[in-house]
Amino acid sequence: MISFKLEEEQEIARDALRDFAAEAMRPIARECDETSAIPEEFLAQSWELGLVSTQIPEAYGGGGEARSPVTNAIVLEELAWGDAALALAAVAPAGFAYAIADQGTEAQKQKYLPMFCGEDYCAASLAVNEPTVCFDPLTPRTVAEPKSDGFVLSGTKCCVPMGDRASHFLVVARNNGSLDAFVVPRDAEGLSVSDNELNLGLKALPTATLELERVEVSAADRLGGEEGCDVQRVLDGSRTALAAVMVGLSRAALEYAVPYAKDRVAFDQAIAQKQGIAFKLADMHIETESTRWLVWKAAAQLEQGVSATRAAHFARGYAADQSMWITDQGVQVLGGHGFIRDNPVEMWFRNARTVGVLEGTVCI
Amino acid sequence: MDIIVCMKRVPDSAARIQIGGDGRSIDSAGLEHIISPYDEMALERALQIKEEQGGTVTVVCLGAAEAAKEIRQALAMGADQALHIKSDVGYRDPLTTARILADHLKGRTFDMLLFGKQSIDADNSAIGVMVATLLDLPAVSLVTKLDAADGKATVEREAEAGAEVIEVALPAVFTAQRGLAEPRYPSIKGIMQAKKKPIEEAQAPEEAALITLEALEPPPARTGGRIVGEGVEAVPELVRLLRSEAKVL
Repeated sequence: MISFKLEEEQEIARDALRDFAAEAMRPIARECDETSAIPEEFLAQSWELGLVSTQIPEAYGGGGEARSPVTNAIVLEELAWGDAALALAAVAPAGFAYAIADQGTEAQKQKYLPMFCGEDYCAASLAVNEPTVCFDPLTPRTVAEPKSDGFVLSGTKCCVPMGDRASHFLVVARNNGSLDAFVVPRDAEGLSVSDNELNLGLKALPTATLELERVEVSAADRLGGEEGCDVQRVLDGSRTALAAVMVGLSRAALEYAVPYAKDRVAFDQAIAQKQGIAFKLADMHIETESTRWLVWKAAAQLEQGVSATRAAHFARGYAADQSMWITDQGVQVLGGHGFIRDNPVEMWFRNARTVGVLEGTVCI
Repeated sequence: MDIIVCMKRVPDSAARIQIGGDGRSIDSAGLEHIISPYDEMALERALQIKEEQGGTVTVVCLGAAEAAKEIRQALAMGADQALHIKSDVGYRDPLTTARILADHLKGRTFDMLLFGKQSIDADNSAIGVMVATLLDLPAVSLVTKLDAADGKATVEREAEAGAEVIEVALPAVFTAQRGLAEPRYPSIKGIMQAKKKPIEEAQAPEEAALITLEALEPPPARTGGRIVGEGVEAVPELVRLLRSEAKVL
């Protein structure tokens, strides 16, 4: 049987993160967007919640709780409801840490996982995206040439979250016919990190371009060591997480538009009473819920350890389309008030457009 | 320092309250609940003291089976254990409530017993001091500052144009006023650990009610405002209406 009933701890996590999003994220979201900056206090405050460390094994200093992509999807939806850029900043290190925890060698786990279990926010990121037309993460142009004791990496990565401060990057590259991921420290010779990219949305989230010019890494820096890793699995987790972020964005727009439409009177009637608006609001609600179920299905498959590739792709593709449509309708329902910056819907619209293209196009 | 915090499950302060079909209870369908905010402040201060000095924090909750979720939330914030005194009674007078709590607290050892100054649903502001009286313990209500060391506590309460500073021998009872502590968000780790923490269960006795609640009524719907005039000329009329009609002056 399929049950959509949350576990008690998932309900408590949802409620706690909902309060956190409303009280610690919403009030600063606009200023973060305007100034393209994230306060250090916010990163410290979100780090205290244990968003990353809780699901790292105790042996490496973590909370030792089982990995739960479903709980993480619930948590991410709430954080993204607060603000998508801040949410992605808070959890970006998990992209790196969970890949190591799931597929790293024992030495890699011992070396890197304790970094994420300390008291201070620790930035490290996945580097997947590339600045090419219709980028497909499974056929990157970044290549890893094997050499006697390691690899030489060459290529360009973009939209790397927390690129301004990440101490390590997990770079996805083509190694002959297969795909691999490599840990590259920020100070690696041949690696240059750009200034923050100027983006349409998620403006508070610092993203950077990485230029890898014959960066030498050792064989021990290949994720999974000699056996390599399943990059698809990393992408499935990451895509599901991005889709959960888009559910939060969609819900934010929906929950803003509904009371506005009930309150806003035009031609002697609340605009929510007008069929054209009522249908929009109903469809926004239906699509938000539909996206959430796709996300939860992908998350459940990740949690069960079965292949989640198809489900994650469906969730992300659908979420990208629908969150753009829903946030666009959010702007539309508010009319003239929708595109002025006094209201947040225009920011959510830009954010949805941006989250939708992270980690490659959904067009192929 | 071993601290017991009594907490109540109450409807969310942001919820729209509807009267139930029996006319004397709140319709709980779809209603979100929270830990009463003043109780949460008391819990936060208890956790801070535990973190500073060591010891234990136990939460005690008299309430419906569904209160288990709010108890878990308290454990997720950092409390070590809980006592859930189960009861399906919707309304109970303060003295009966205080007696049930006192009966369960009698025989337990603790240094401090904390309450919120009042629950945000019944608003009686009575339970903390009643329990203290029943247990024959000193009590200070409405505390905005609470420190404890060497068998005594130093507390502050707001007074007109200043603060009262009171020293009390422990064990003692305190009720929390806004300003005592800002409740933390439960961490994900805390939430996951909470499910492994013990919740002792007990059943509240069926007692004859001292007070019966006859009816609940929603406040009258607000009517539209009235503009009584413009500029300085309108002030006398406004003052007259505030005095004679609104009766707020």
